Amino acid sequence: MSHVLIVDDSRTIRMQVRTVLEQEGLQVTEAADGKIALGLAPGLNPDLIITDLNMPEMDGISLVRALRGNASFPRIPILILTTVTDQEMKDKGRAAGATGWLCKPFKPDQLKIVIQKVLGK
Amino acid sequence: MNHVVETSPGEFSLYVGGVFASRTPANVRTILGSCIAVCLYDPVARVGGMNHFLLPAAKDDDGFEVARFGVHAMDSLIGELMMRHKADRRRLVAKVFGGGHVLDTAHSTDSVPERNIRFIRDFLRDEEIPVVAEDLGGTWPRLVIFHCTEGRARVKRMTGTRVVDALRVRDTSAAKETPQYGSVDLF
Repeated sequence: MSHVLIVDDSRTIRMQVRTVLEQEGLQVTEAADGKIALGLAPGLNPDLIITDLNMPEMDGISLVRALRGNASFPRIPILILTTVTDQEMKDKGRAAGATGWLCKPFKPDQLKIVIQKVLGK
Repeated sequence: MNHVVETSPGEFSLYVGGVFASRTPANVRTILGSCIAVCLYDPVARVGGMNHFLLPAAKDDDGFEVARFGVHAMDSLIGELMMRHKADRRRLVAKVFGGGHVLDTAHSTDSVPERNIRFIRDFLRDEEIPVVAEDLGGTWPRLVIFHCTEGRARVKRMTGTRVVDALRVRDTSAAKETPQYGSVDLF
C-alpha cells in the first residue's frame, strides 16, 4: 500500500485530500506545516508528498528544496496543491524540484488520476 | 468578470467570487444577500482582507463536494494574506456577515443561506480562527465596508424592494453557476 504525506496548515483541506486518497486505498499521514513534514519524512519514507504552498514555519517551496537536498528523497514525487496560480511561483516550484503544481479547488477524479500517474500505476 | 473593482483611490468594490486584501489603507465594500463575506484581520501585521462567496446549489448527496468551493474562498483569502501581505494565520481573527433569507421565504435548515451560515461557522471553528463579530441570517440584504489595515467593519442593513429584487436575480444565478476547478501542471 502506497503511503502519502499530506502537508497543509488547514485541517479542513487535509481532511478533503485524505478522503480522496483513502478512496484510492492509499495510506495517509498528515502534517500541519513544512517543518513538521520535514521531521516526519525520514521515518515515514512516503511514496508521495502533497504539500500546500503558504504555511507558517516552512512554506511548500522551502519544503521541496529541503527534501531535494536530502539524499533520501531525490526522486520521491512531490506535488504542490495551492490556490496560487502565478506562473512565476510555478517556475519557482519547478526549479525547487516539485513534480507538479495543482491549483485548487481540485476535482477529486482529476487528483486521483494525477496521483496514479506520479506513483507510476 | 472582474471580482474586484477600484472605484476611487483606496476604495474597492468586491463581487461574488472575489477576494481582496491590503496592507495599505483601503476600504473594501460588498453587498450581500444569501452570500457570505468573511473579513480576516491580523492585528499585529495590521493587514486584512475580505472574500465574498456563495456555495453552489447542492443535491442531497454532494454537500461535501459543494463545501469545497467555500473552503476555496477561505483558503484563497488566507493564502493572499499570508503570501502577499505577510500575515500569520495563527493571529487571524474573523468578522462574518451575510446569509440573509432574501431568496427563500421559508427559513428551513436546508435553505441556501442556512447552508452557507453553517458552512462558515464549521470552517472557522475547525480552523481555530476566532470570530470576533458576526451579523448573519435575517431577511435583509447588507452592505459591508471593511477597513483592511484597521480591521474595522461597518454593516448597514438594506431595505427597498429594488435592492432585494436585484439580489434575488444575482444570487439565483450565482447559485446555479457551474463551479470552476483548478488546473494541473506536471513538470
